[in-house]
This record gives sequence, C-alpha cells and structure tokens, in this order.
Amino acid sequence: MSDSSFKDANNRLDSAVRGVIERAQANRSMLRMVLVFVAAFALFAFLNPRVFLGSLNLQNIMVASPEIGVIAIAMMLSMLTGGIDLSLVSIANLSAITMSTMFTAMVTGSGEFNEAMAVPVLLVGILVGVGCGLLNGVLIGIVGITPILATLGTMQILNGVAIVWTGGSTLYGAPATFTTFGKLAIGPVPMLFAVFIVAAILIAFLVNSTTLGRKIELQGANPVAARFSGIRSKAVLIGSYAVGGALGGLAGFLFLARNPTASADYGASYVLLVIVIAVLGGTNPNGGFASVAGVVIATLTLQVVSSGFTAMRLSSYQYAIAQGVILVAVMVIDAINWRKFRNKRPAPMAATGK
Amino acid sequence: MENEPVTSTKPGGDERSPILSVRGISKRFGGVQALADVSLDLYPGEVHCLAGENGCGKSTLIKVISGAETPDSGKIVVDGVGHSQMNTTSAIESGIQVIYQDFSLFPSLTVAENIVLTSAVAVQKKFYSATAAAARARAIVDELQLDLDLDAEVGTLSVANKQLTAICRALVSDARVIFMDEPTTALTHTEVKRLFELVDKLRDRGVSMVFVSHKLSEILQVSQQVTIMRSGKVVTSGPVEEFDTRSIARHMTGRDIEDVRIVSDLPDEAPVQLEVEGLTLKGAYWDVNFNVKKGEIIGVTGLLGSGRTEIAESLFGLLTPDHGQVRVEGERVQLASIADSVSAGIGYVPEDRLTQGLFLEKSIADNIIAGSLNQHRSKWRTLDFRKVKATISRLFEELRIKAPNVKAPVRTLSGGNAQRVVLAKWLATNPKVLILNGPTVGVDVGSKEQILELLREQAGQGMAIIVISDDEPELVSCCHRVLVVTKGRITDELVGDDVSVERIQESMAA
Repeated sequence: MSDSSFKDANNRLDSAVRGVIERAQANRSMLRMVLVFVAAFALFAFLNPRVFLGSLNLQNIMVASPEIGVIAIAMMLSMLTGGIDLSLVSIANLSAITMSTMFTAMVTGSGEFNEAMAVPVLLVGILVGVGCGLLNGVLIGIVGITPILATLGTMQILNGVAIVWTGGSTLYGAPATFTTFGKLAIGPVPMLFAVFIVAAILIAFLVNSTTLGRKIELQGANPVAARFSGIRSKAVLIGSYAVGGALGGLAGFLFLARNPTASADYGASYVLLVIVIAVLGGTNPNGGFASVAGVVIATLTLQVVSSGFTAMRLSSYQYAIAQGVILVAVMVIDAINWRKFRNKRPAPMAATGK
Repeated sequence: MENEPVTSTKPGGDERSPILSVRGISKRFGGVQALADVSLDLYPGEVHCLAGENGCGKSTLIKVISGAETPDSGKIVVDGVGHSQMNTTSAIESGIQVIYQDFSLFPSLTVAENIVLTSAVAVQKKFYSATAAAARARAIVDELQLDLDLDAEVGTLSVANKQLTAICRALVSDARVIFMDEPTTALTHTEVKRLFELVDKLRDRGVSMVFVSHKLSEILQVSQQVTIMRSGKVVTSGPVEEFDTRSIARHMTGRDIEDVRIVSDLPDEAPVQLEVEGLTLKGAYWDVNFNVKKGEIIGVTGLLGSGRTEIAESLFGLLTPDHGQVRVEGERVQLASIADSVSAGIGYVPEDRLTQGLFLEKSIADNIIAGSLNQHRSKWRTLDFRKVKATISRLFEELRIKAPNVKAPVRTLSGGNAQRVVLAKWLATNPKVLILNGPTVGVDVGSKEQILELLREQAGQGMAIIVISDDEPELVSCCHRVLVVTKGRITDELVGDDVSVERIQESMAA
C-alpha cells in the first residue's frame, strides 16, 4: 500500500469518526437514553445476574418489546406533527379483533388454505389500521379538531366498536402461521423483534429521507410557516396519521402473533406508556423534533427495567413507580442541561439580538 | 445591593438631574464583549434615541437596566441612588418600563384588563375587581385622550392600538422611564404621527422615553438626545441638533452609506412575467391591474389597510379573489391555495418573518430547503441528499448568511440574517415571481443595503420582483416602478425620475 493511499484511508477514518461524534453531540437525547439503557441493564445484571442474564429473560425482553415499540413509534410520528394519537392501542385491538374474526369465519378443514389466508388476513388488519388513521387525519387535518380531542374521540369510538363486536369477551383464533411466526427466531433474535426493527428502519427512512417525512417535521416545528412555505398541511397530517394507523394495525398483528387471542381491552396500560417512551426517546411534544432510534432505545430501556423488576420479584406497581421516576428524572436532567446551555452561551443571542 | 447617594454633575439643580443614569456598564458573554463601559443619562421629559445596528448591544443594555441581565461592572443610578445591579421587580418599582416589540400583552383579555392586571399583580393584590379596574383604565385613557375601546379583546386590535394599550399599562404602573423597542416598525404614517403626539403628552408629564430605532428620519423627528452604539460601545452621544441622517448612518455602521438609486436598464422588449388583470376581492381591493416584466423590480406602497398586503396575499394563494386573473409567463394561475401559487413559481416573503417565514428552532439548512422539498427528489421519489446539500451550501454562501454553519438554529440569527434565510428558502424554489412584504423591517442599515443588492442581482438573473414597503428610500433605491395603492385601488404609478421619496409621499397623501 502506497503512502498516499494510507494517508487517504487515515483521513477518511478521521472524518468518519468526527462525523459520528458530531452526530452524537447533535443527538444528545439519544446519547442520554443510551446511557440510561446501559445503566439499567448493568444494574439488573449486577443485582440478579442468574435470572436477568438468562437467555429466557433476554428472549422475553425481545418478544415483549415489539408491540409496545411499534405503537410508540406511531405515537412519535403523531407527536412529530405537533399532535398526539390516543387511539393507537384501540386501533391495534380493533385490527387484532378483525383479523381473528376473519380467520375464524373462514377457517376450514384444510390446513393449506388456512396458511394461504395468513397474508390476506394480515393485509386486512393493516388496512383497518390505515382506515382508522385516515379518520384521525381527516378529523385533525381537514375538520381542524385538536389532535388530543380528535383521537380521544376515535379512541372511544373504536374501543366501543370493539366491545360491542366481541360482546366484551376474548376471541380465540388466529392463523397458525401467525403463532408459528411469533415463535420463530433468527439465531437468538426472535422474528417479532426483527419486525420491530424493520418497522423502525422504515419509519426512520420515511422521516429522514422522504419529502413527506421532512414536511411532517416542518409542520410540527411551525404549522404557519409550513403553510407559508407551500406545504399542503392537510395532506401531510392525513398522511402521517395514516402511517401511524398502519403501525397500529401492525401492532395488532404482533398482539396476535404473541398470543392468539384478541380482546377490546388488551394493552390498556400502553396508551400512556407509549407517550412516556416517545418523550424519553427525545420526541419534542411540541412537535418538529424526534428520533426513531431514540424511541427504540427508550422502548428497550423500559422493557429492561420491567423484566429487571420481575427478576427482582418486584410488583408491577413498583414498575409503574419506576416508569414515572425515569420520566421525571430524564426531564429534570434535560431542564438542568438547558439552563447551563443558556447561561454559558447566550452570547450569540445577546450579540445578535436587537 | 449597594446603595449610595450620587450627586448630579450637571448644573441646574433638580430640574436637570437625571431620573436614570447608567455609569460604565460592561457585560461579557463568553468571548463576546456585549457592553463595554457604556454610560447613559436619561432626563425627565426627554426622548432619548438609542440607535445602532443589530448586535451592537442595545438590547443587552435594556436588559441590564430592566434587571433581566446582571452587569459585570458599572452602576445604575436611579434618583441619585446607585445600584450595582437591578432586578425586574425593583426596576418596575423604580418606574422603569420596557415595551418590547411584541408588547407582551394577553390577547384573550380586554384592553382594560391588560392595562390594569400587571400592575395589580406587581403589587400582589389578591383580589381583582372588574369595576375598579375599568375605572383606572378609563382614567388613564381619558387623560391621554386616546380613542381606545376598553372592552375590546386585545387579540382583535390593530398593532397601533396594541401599542397604545402597552403604553397605558406602563403608565398605570407609574412609569417614569419607558423604553420602546422599535415602536414604529409596524405602524402606518398616520399611526406614527399619533404615537408622536402621544409622546409629546408623555413628555409634558415628565416621563423620560428611550426609543430604540433603525429609522433614521424618525430618530431626528422625535428625539432630543441621540446615543449611537456600535460593537457594545457608545460611539457618540449628544443633542439631536448635532446629527443628520447621514452622520447617524455613518456612526452606526462605521462607514458611509450612500443613498442612491440603482436600477438596471430594462429592454423594452423584456417579456411580461406576471400579469394581474381585474383582480377584485370585495372589502379589500378592486379592479387591480398591473404587470411585471422579467428582470423588473416594482414597488407597491400605500397606507397600512390600503389593501396592498391583501393583493400580495391573493397572488400567493392565501386569499381567494372574487374575480380577476393572474398569469405567470402567460399561464393562468389557480389562486386556490399557497401550494398552487408556489408550484406556479410565485414566492412570498411575508411581513411577519418570525411566525410565517421561519422555523425558528430548526437549522438554517432545514429552513432553506423547506419550500423546495419536492424539487429535490431523486427518481425513487426520496430526497436527493447530494442535491439538497448543494442547494443549501450554494445559497448559504451566495446570500452571505452570517452563522458558524448551516446547522445553527435560525433562532440564534439577527434580523438581517434571518431575513436572508427566508430569501434563501424562496430562491431554492427558483421562483419566477418573488413578492416581498416589508423586506427590510427590523433589519439594520448595513444588512438592508445588502438585501436590496441581492434583490437587484436576482432581478438581473430574470426574476420578476414585487417589493411592498413603507420605506420610501428603500423603494427609490431599487424599484423600476412604484405603484401606489389607496383604499383598495391602484391610484398612481410612478416611473423613471418620478420615483423619488417626495413624489411617493405626495402621491400617498393625495
């Protein structure tokens, strides 16, 4: 290898490292979440290594997190527009119920036919999600209802429909393919987790590399300026809530794949949990700023804490306390950093302000 | 806080002792010396004009005096008592009031409530009586002989009336020194006149006023004392008689600013780029006809409320006209939405830069690309990052935006640089017609000339430009033609040598 090419490679390595550092600095909330994740993991690994580091527990974390994570990413998307979507869990349940009912109605003796139905059933489930998302998008984007009220309304409607439809009972029945899929794994990584990661990558791509994603960000950052920049706000809002709905439908599939039952009240605690996750992941509730990677890490962190508490034989109520403590602690850390930031560097503002 | 009596150095007894003196104030932010040994005396019944370019330290000085910032050294003397620093409560108690550009009013409360509530809060009143409040508000409004509806919601008021409300609020708290940040920027000529009449009344009451302003002619008109700052220092200070517009501009920028008219020669056969025919929106404007040629800059002026902004907003698709046609390069434009106008090649730099033009928390890069995302797509319909990056760095350099890099949030930029970002956003869309509403409002003298030069360059490259402005010298400096709008109709068109400050003013008054 010649001297110059060595130098060249060295330079390239340098700039790559610099790029990573820069990105890490730009993404402080992400970095902070990674630290919390590592700390939580290390803590429980230290307190009860036998149970916590057992492969069963680690598998369990990866199987339980996808459904929450996918809904949290959908929540992040609605928060990115400056809104919120309370109806996501109801969408997921309705999609799961639709898929389960559809499968039960079509079930025949032939196993081959049943297997062939898996993909259409899944598509219908996701379409149900898209439909509900479109409804949210129309209410928010065209009618102009405040997101928290619009989705509170649709949450009640969808939940009610699900209860009336099922009579409040739990439905049993899902394509065997779903449940088999739920048990599959690529090496140590469960299939469900892979689905979560793929969904996260797709949404990250949507946000960062498509015009719709950028418009969603701008819409959230300043809706008035977005309109004055020629962005069709209605289409952007409808689009983002529809994508959120699709993720809700996907979550319905994850529900069924993990556990072949569907009911109207599954995952009731998720509604607030996913807001916590989205905010921990660095989503600005005022809109305009979010990171999919941050949300993925935040999902895993809370799941680690949850199973860590189980490993320590602590109750789910104590886990609820921990959730709250983590949220408040992270927000406090943020507030302190901000103040420091302001005291140290008001110079550009003061120097340029009129 | 140290308190010690300081005797006035000026002769003339109590009459001429300053209400407020600032002595040798310095303030450092990190590596930037925002204020260096600044001194200032404010006398009762006097209007003191504080002038300087953006970033010269004017606002830091006001913040130090009003207690929002702590000075590193120096002294603030109120009524002969020296303080090493102020806090916001003690400043208000000493009668120091600052009226910021946004007035800090509560839009959903009435005028009376806005006038009275803050002072009630300041003296920690626990109960609020609507009738007592109304009476106090009424008293102050009557005393100043203002025409202000006390029961109106502040959110529905015009800018001028909001300002009057803010002034009344300051007086209710017994203000003796009132700082006003750019008080005339959003006002029409008549409203400015009304404000100056009010200023005279306040002077009679012995109130000392500090105007922070960019507008040179107004500085000369309203003030008795002028202090000019540059780079955190007081460059000069003295009675207004010692200054003229040219010397003020020179002290502010440190160089000579020429008031000149530079317009390109338009060939007669230059094609028409924008045609407006019979445009009418009832209640706003009637039968508006004009056209703009390729490479031409036209000015549109008129009093606030004359319909000039509505005409621009209609061209941009914000307001739908009742009838009439608009054609860009001969093709008819649907005026149904902003997105339609943008895709037809019309760009609009709005009056309210901060809320309508910019995404303040987003980076310069994100702002520049915000209007042209669809034009930066690859064949896979995803963003073409290489193209995006090229556009951003080209415009960042071309428009000489002063910032460490394109990742800096726009919030940290000065008025002139922020306006350049809005311009960059539109230039990225390659517009055929660019409409600018108040392009240099809140922009300092030096930046202003550079922005006008940018417009000339863009016109030179074939853009048709419409500048809506109150600032006659600005129109004279860059416009080929000036249209005067009165009560919703174009009443005059000034061409060639007729484009002069005097002719524009005459035509508007007619």
